[in-house]
Amino acid sequence: MTTSSEDVLLQVSNVRHKKGDGTLYVMSERIGFMTNNSDTMSSCYAYTDVKMQKISSEQKQKVQLQLVFHSGESVIFQFVCPSRSDSVTNRDAVKGYLTKLLPKFQKKVNKELEEKNRMLSSNAALFQLYRDLVITKIVDAEEFWSQHAPAYINKNGASQQQIGVPGNFLVNVKPQTDGCNAIKYNLTADTIECIFRTYPAVRQKHLEYVPHKLSESEFWVKFFQSHYFHKDRMHTGTKDLFSECAKHDDQELKKELSTVEQCEVNLNAFDNTVENEGYGLDSTEASTGSNNIVSENLIKRFNHHSIMVLKATRNNTEQLETESGSARKKIRLLNEDESCELGDGETKKIEKTNINLSKVEQMINGVKNPKTKVRNLHAILHKANSMRDKVCYDILHYRKPPGTTYLTPSAAVSALGELTPGGLLMNGLLEDSQSLAQLVPSDIEKEFRSLYLTICELLRHFWACFPPTTPTLEEKLVRMYDALRKFHQTKLNTFENRIMVECSTLNQQLTAHLNLILNTAYEKYNNWQSKRKFPAGVPIN
Amino acid sequence: MNEDTDSESSLLVVIFDTSLTQDVIINEEIKLSECLEIIITFVNSHLMLKSNNKIAMITCDSKNCQFIYPDSTNEPGQLRQTDGQYELFTHVEKTIRKNVQQFLVKTLEGEIGHHDSLFGAACSIALCYINRLENEKSLGDKMNSRILIITGCGNSGDQYIPCMNTFFTAQKQNVTIDVCSLQNEITLLQQACDITNGVFLKLPQLSSLLQYLLWVFLPDPTVRKKLVVPPPVSVDYRPFCFCHHELIDIGFVCSVCLAIYCKLSPICTTCEVVFKLKAPMKPIKVKKKKMIKS
Repeated sequence: MTTSSEDVLLQVSNVRHKKGDGTLYVMSERIGFMTNNSDTMSSCYAYTDVKMQKISSEQKQKVQLQLVFHSGESVIFQFVCPSRSDSVTNRDAVKGYLTKLLPKFQKKVNKELEEKNRMLSSNAALFQLYRDLVITKIVDAEEFWSQHAPAYINKNGASQQQIGVPGNFLVNVKPQTDGCNAIKYNLTADTIECIFRTYPAVRQKHLEYVPHKLSESEFWVKFFQSHYFHKDRMHTGTKDLFSECAKHDDQELKKELSTVEQCEVNLNAFDNTVENEGYGLDSTEASTGSNNIVSENLIKRFNHHSIMVLKATRNNTEQLETESGSARKKIRLLNEDESCELGDGETKKIEKTNINLSKVEQMINGVKNPKTKVRNLHAILHKANSMRDKVCYDILHYRKPPGTTYLTPSAAVSALGELTPGGLLMNGLLEDSQSLAQLVPSDIEKEFRSLYLTICELLRHFWACFPPTTPTLEEKLVRMYDALRKFHQTKLNTFENRIMVECSTLNQQLTAHLNLILNTAYEKYNNWQSKRKFPAGVPIN
Repeated sequence: MNEDTDSESSLLVVIFDTSLTQDVIINEEIKLSECLEIIITFVNSHLMLKSNNKIAMITCDSKNCQFIYPDSTNEPGQLRQTDGQYELFTHVEKTIRKNVQQFLVKTLEGEIGHHDSLFGAACSIALCYINRLENEKSLGDKMNSRILIITGCGNSGDQYIPCMNTFFTAQKQNVTIDVCSLQNEITLLQQACDITNGVFLKLPQLSSLLQYLLWVFLPDPTVRKKLVVPPPVSVDYRPFCFCHHELIDIGFVCSVCLAIYCKLSPICTTCEVVFKLKAPMKPIKVKKKKMIKS
């Protein structure tokens, strides 16, 4: 009974235990004692129960080893070899084994404790229960963990959620041609699972045919070859394994259609034709009829596929709920869509699958971050503590001495400078031409407009002189240049000065472009002049 | 004209961060009491703009937040004016002082922690208050509500998720959130301003706090359109990850519960869904979080 097939690590004879002489067996998980003239273990102690081992001191006559258990009890083994030195070596051997073995088991115990601790700290309700029942000693700790806790732990475990079916799972099959007429499909366990979940009819077929009539691979070959899988479904041939499935699908689709509330989407109204074509005079339907059937079929397939994918997720949760035996709780939320509110006031109920969050706290708050990255945190906290009293006093008893200001005029002016266009805080505003336009007073704007008009007129004449091939053109060019210069000095410069005085914030912004076009003209003129001074053999006059 | 404007009022809710561990307070760049004085001046200016303007004030720190004004136990009219000041202003000032001091004394009892201030909680209180007033107001009245957060806190994401939730609520409720940051560019609050069409202003200098408040934050959001105000700052739209509260460029989003992680893990720790990874450590089921352009 107590003997087992465990490996015996050490066997020590001449041991006295509970007033009987016998042999001590050190095994991998337990320590056992067998009295002489017997072939069963008279006593056996698991290491998991052992808290620690003690040995008798060197001075004592008896050579003993004591095991202390977690329960507080203890047992003593006495080594009774004829010579004392033998006993000591025997005992030391046992001791050596035990010192190696015991920590392993203690760790195991600690791990269990840690696990329990973790569970308690992560589950507030369980912790409350633990405090109410165990700490008050209403229930034994053992009993608590075996009887009461699983309900809570399982509640957590049952929230195992499945990821939904991705809508594109059929794309993952990725057919590959090998150059000949054969096509290779890559099917993984995941994809098969997805197909089953989305198309229960196929699963049904699979159950019927595999492995009695077809092998697994044959089944899938047939599946991919069948019209059922392909774009244009034609279930005329009754030979096809999946023609039934297709019919089943059609029925499903009709059923789904009938459940769709007309108030939301009028599915019948979805037609692939445009009403306005031909101004509604002639019907285009007849001409495109054959086309429509193909595309209609395709659209139907896509819709069906989407419906099935969505249903797969829904079925899944329902299944879970019925499995667990709990009453099916449907979360019904009132549809707060405007479309319903505007309708006849009938509230439509929508079934929603909810997410099982194992840690709601984490969803709301994120993981608690224990570490703060601030250096000299202590200094800061200390200072904050020391400041507290003074601040409190200040706030309640602060009496404004007359003349105290919270805003000095200079600070206010500098703040205003930053807040007016062109200031530090108004970056990015100046590029906005609209705001620039708003800033210009109307009289300046008028003058500016006329400036532009004149300068543009002068420039037009100036540029018209290029290339100056005739003497009259050259003469005109020089005249225009002079006019531009003169205008620049008398009108533009005075205008610029006026802006500087009246709206300093605009600065050079306003006239920047005018200056640019004038300078371009001057540059052109100077270039021409320098060429004229060193003529390349072209005589003037 | 008068009939038109009289039915329109403006509610300003000031959220004042009184956390003593803010850098500006610790480094004594500005005194908390001084700051409070300035805020009182500011809210009084708001009341002065129109007789049916309303104010509310909430203080928060890293552990608590509390409603400061209006105080139900202390109705206006009980105080007599002392120095010729308008009674309402005296009342506002006295109530705010008393309650802020009480709030600070309350925090005196506990240890000061170094965490982010509870803007999410404070905003929730503000939104509840706004909602109540919206329900109580008589038909035909119009109330523009907004929240102004004044803080000197740092840029960390301890409160990312609760805060973002309240900010989106504010957006739905049509409540503008303005932020006056005394020191840092606070990513979280910048996002708050951006989604609610508020103004985020980081002060270049603390000495002219009142000027900035009066200039930028006193006008109603409806009026602001007609004024030349600082243009919106470019917002850092990176999210904080759930696991380490750090700003991330590329994150991994759980397809079931939408939790954001900075590292790919086969099990979502929030909803415990197990992802099927076809190749070891290759993100297939996990979508990459797109960066939203500002």
